[in-house]
Amino acid sequence: MNAAARALRMPLAISLELPGAAYLLALLAAAFALASPEFSSPRNLGNIALQSAALIIVSLGMTLVILTEGIDLSLGAVLGLCGVVMGLMLASHGSLPTALGAALAIGIIAGCCNGALVAYAGMPPFIVTLGVYGIAQSLAMVLTQGNSVTGLPPAVRWFNEGVWLGVPVPILAMAAVFAFTWLLLYRTRFGRYVFAIGGNRRALELAGVPVRAWLVAVYAYAGLLAAIASFIMTARMNAAHPTIAIGLEFDAIAAVILGGTSFEKGYGGIWGTLVGALAVAVLRNGLNLIGLGTEWQVAVVGLVIVSAVALDALRNRS
Amino acid sequence: MKLLAIVVAAMLAVPSAAFAQARPKIVVFTKNVTNPFWKAVRVGADKAGKQLGADVEHAAPTKPDNIEEQTRLVEDWIVRKPAAMVFVPVDFKALVPSIQKVNQAGIPVVIFSNRMSDVESVTYVGSDDETIGYEITSYLIKSIGGKGKIVHIDGVPAAITAQNRKKGMERALKEHPQIELLASQPGNYRRLPAVQVFENLMQRFPQIDGVICANDDMAVGVSEALAAAGRGGKTKVVGIDAIPDGIAAIQSGKMQATADYSGHDQGFLATSAAIRHLRGEKFPKEIALPVVIVEKGNAAPWAMPVEEKPTPDWNKVLQAQKKL
Amino acid sequence: MIAAVQRLPTEMLFVVVTRTAFVAALVLLLAIVSPHFLTTDNMVIVLRQAALQFLMAAGLTLVVLTGGIDLSVGAVLGLAACVGAGFIVKGYVLLGILAALGAGLACGIVNGALVAYVGIPAFIATYGMLWVAHGLGYVFMKGEVIHGFPAGFRALGAGFFASLPIPVIAGALLLLALHVVLHLTRFGRALYAMGGNPVAARLTGMPTKRYLVTVYALSGMLAAFAGLVVIARVNAADSGTGEELLLTAIAAVCLGGTSLFGGVGGIVGTAIGSLILALVVNGMNMLGIATFWQAFAMGVILILAVFADVTFKRRMS
Repeated sequence: MNAAARALRMPLAISLELPGAAYLLALLAAAFALASPEFSSPRNLGNIALQSAALIIVSLGMTLVILTEGIDLSLGAVLGLCGVVMGLMLASHGSLPTALGAALAIGIIAGCCNGALVAYAGMPPFIVTLGVYGIAQSLAMVLTQGNSVTGLPPAVRWFNEGVWLGVPVPILAMAAVFAFTWLLLYRTRFGRYVFAIGGNRRALELAGVPVRAWLVAVYAYAGLLAAIASFIMTARMNAAHPTIAIGLEFDAIAAVILGGTSFEKGYGGIWGTLVGALAVAVLRNGLNLIGLGTEWQVAVVGLVIVSAVALDALRNRS
Repeated sequence: MKLLAIVVAAMLAVPSAAFAQARPKIVVFTKNVTNPFWKAVRVGADKAGKQLGADVEHAAPTKPDNIEEQTRLVEDWIVRKPAAMVFVPVDFKALVPSIQKVNQAGIPVVIFSNRMSDVESVTYVGSDDETIGYEITSYLIKSIGGKGKIVHIDGVPAAITAQNRKKGMERALKEHPQIELLASQPGNYRRLPAVQVFENLMQRFPQIDGVICANDDMAVGVSEALAAAGRGGKTKVVGIDAIPDGIAAIQSGKMQATADYSGHDQGFLATSAAIRHLRGEKFPKEIALPVVIVEKGNAAPWAMPVEEKPTPDWNKVLQAQKKL
Repeated sequence: MIAAVQRLPTEMLFVVVTRTAFVAALVLLLAIVSPHFLTTDNMVIVLRQAALQFLMAAGLTLVVLTGGIDLSVGAVLGLAACVGAGFIVKGYVLLGILAALGAGLACGIVNGALVAYVGIPAFIATYGMLWVAHGLGYVFMKGEVIHGFPAGFRALGAGFFASLPIPVIAGALLLLALHVVLHLTRFGRALYAMGGNPVAARLTGMPTKRYLVTVYALSGMLAAFAGLVVIARVNAADSGTGEELLLTAIAAVCLGGTSLFGGVGGIVGTAIGSLILALVVNGMNMLGIATFWQAFAMGVILILAVFADVTFKRRMS
């Protein structure tokens, strides 16, 4: 079988066991397309894709972490910190590559801290990342005194407004990150270890694999992705703000779970995450377009998420 | 039969398009659905819609004051092509690109309450926070006899209202060197955090002559904390917003004064401006509401629930602009 | 009481000892550096703030012991507080209290049912409930504030009894009650078993599903009670009440040595954890440190505390 067919087989195999989120996405898209004339307009569909780009990128990193039976509550705060550092450096006339590099470095360092405490100190990921969340959030707030950082050079806006080969940059970034993560997860040893750490860590350790080092790499990757997402979000607001992504990690976790990745046993995948994130984005966009009041939107989103996961749970039982 | 159905359908379709032009759709953005100040804005906006014949819809983020959500709301609303937008940014810098997109889409925008730069707006409706901060601080200083120690409970530090109110306070303090500012800590415009911050400050400073709170929600909480600690008589408290809770506290003597920051009037005037702009009316680029200090003597009119408040007279407000 | 302490496994003893030592060191440091810290008034304030935090974290502790989590406690607190406030402000204090507790109970039962009978991970179930409870709160409040409660009700949050704030007394009573339940009743011991070894727990014939629903229901009801105390304290209720208390509640539970994997920990730890958080905030305010640094301090303390626990556990085994 040639390489192309083999490459197609993995996603096809997963798609045969479609998570509930896929049906949810289809259902929501159909319902909103009927209920709102503007929903299926190219501009709106483009909006949905652009609006979800940062969330999807962060969710991909979160997928890997959850596959190892971990969790990362610090991603939103780390994203904010990366953006703030980048913004402050740019606002004081630093060069773009240095600022971007600094942001990436912070994402990786935060991730390594998370990973080291989880892997080497054996601490629960929930607590470690909760602590790092507080630390990162504080640093971002202290650096900015709670203000937005403006005065960024126009070049920054390319990350959100730019177009390359006819495709908006955020969507390109999302596709590139997705492709890279896919390769990482399904075509490298690292990816096999990620699944194995979640499913059968003992066996890996007995086989002499440096499990702890790989675990640190997982969290570092999640931090790196958060930094990349911070470029897009900062460009979107043309400003860096310390609290811009607070709560994003919960949205990412919801997207991952909706997509069928389980907290235990280490099964799941990134196609599910993509579908889960898009389902939530479509839901919120659609509710805005049909003019449902904010008060009811909040309750509806919660109900939909729980219902989707409940249906999945019941389906898996039978 | 089929012909009849087609004719009926055509008759139904055409008037709805015509009606859409007759009753323009205005979307009014507020920062959240938790703070009653924004509720007052929405009530005022609805009244304007009813009086002037427009459909008013509301947009507020589900997570209070969330920047990313408000950005998304603006983008989603551009797709819906409202006739006009009435807007207050949750962050006056981060929402600039979104409003620039609204400008590019050719949708007229009226900005109120929080100024924004680098965007086009039909007009700005608001009270001058810096003047408010200055006036209310001056009032407090006078009421404690021109000298003493005061504490400042700030709003959300990044909010332009908080920053400008603080600037006004600092201007007033410069004029009164015998006043000592003991501390300035944020309460984030919310009651429980303000109460807890102030409680701790009360322990640190046994003598506090006056407290300036960036809004009434916090001021009422602070005044109750003082009363509970038995220090109510010795410390004077002022706030800003003139919400019903604050008025009740002033009338019962727990609080000394507040400054009018009428969400109801701002919502009404900003929405009126948007609708009148669509009709081709002309008015100044800025509509400033007067700064009024509300104390026990003149508090009665503010004690009314927001639904029953009389709406400002548009022409009178414009007349007053020429004098300001 | 001594018997209960002797029953504590070594890990919990380590937690209690280290946390108490930390509290003592913190108090000593602050007393030296800040003249107004060690006054009766300030201690009362710290205790009351700690009690408020504890009331919210208490129910959460029980849930975490079973290996679960309840992300909805903040939102349920707000919803219950608003529902109760609607009645209390009109003078129907008892009805309002019952309505609030009922709202908390209902949310908790739904959480428990989703986790136990449908099999949804606690994280997602309670996350969804967080949204639903917030939404219902918004719908109920319609953007208004309810303020001005009867003095009798306000005593619950602002009143004193035997020169201690009533929330502190409520917290102490709750601590005692829950400690007894956890260590002296079958239900309590079952919670530890469910967290420590869920498979074995099921095999021994424990009605684990019923217990799970009960524990989430308790969490909801206690959050509702905490909500009543909060609104009695600030004499107002709005739909944002309680939002900011979720993460500190989780931190208090974790600081107290209760493991998120379940099976280890207890309510005494949560009480001490709540006290530590209140002391840190109070101390930072006393020293004039900007509030932005509070999250940093809590993050560092949390990580150090759990690091110590985990290292100790490893040395012991």
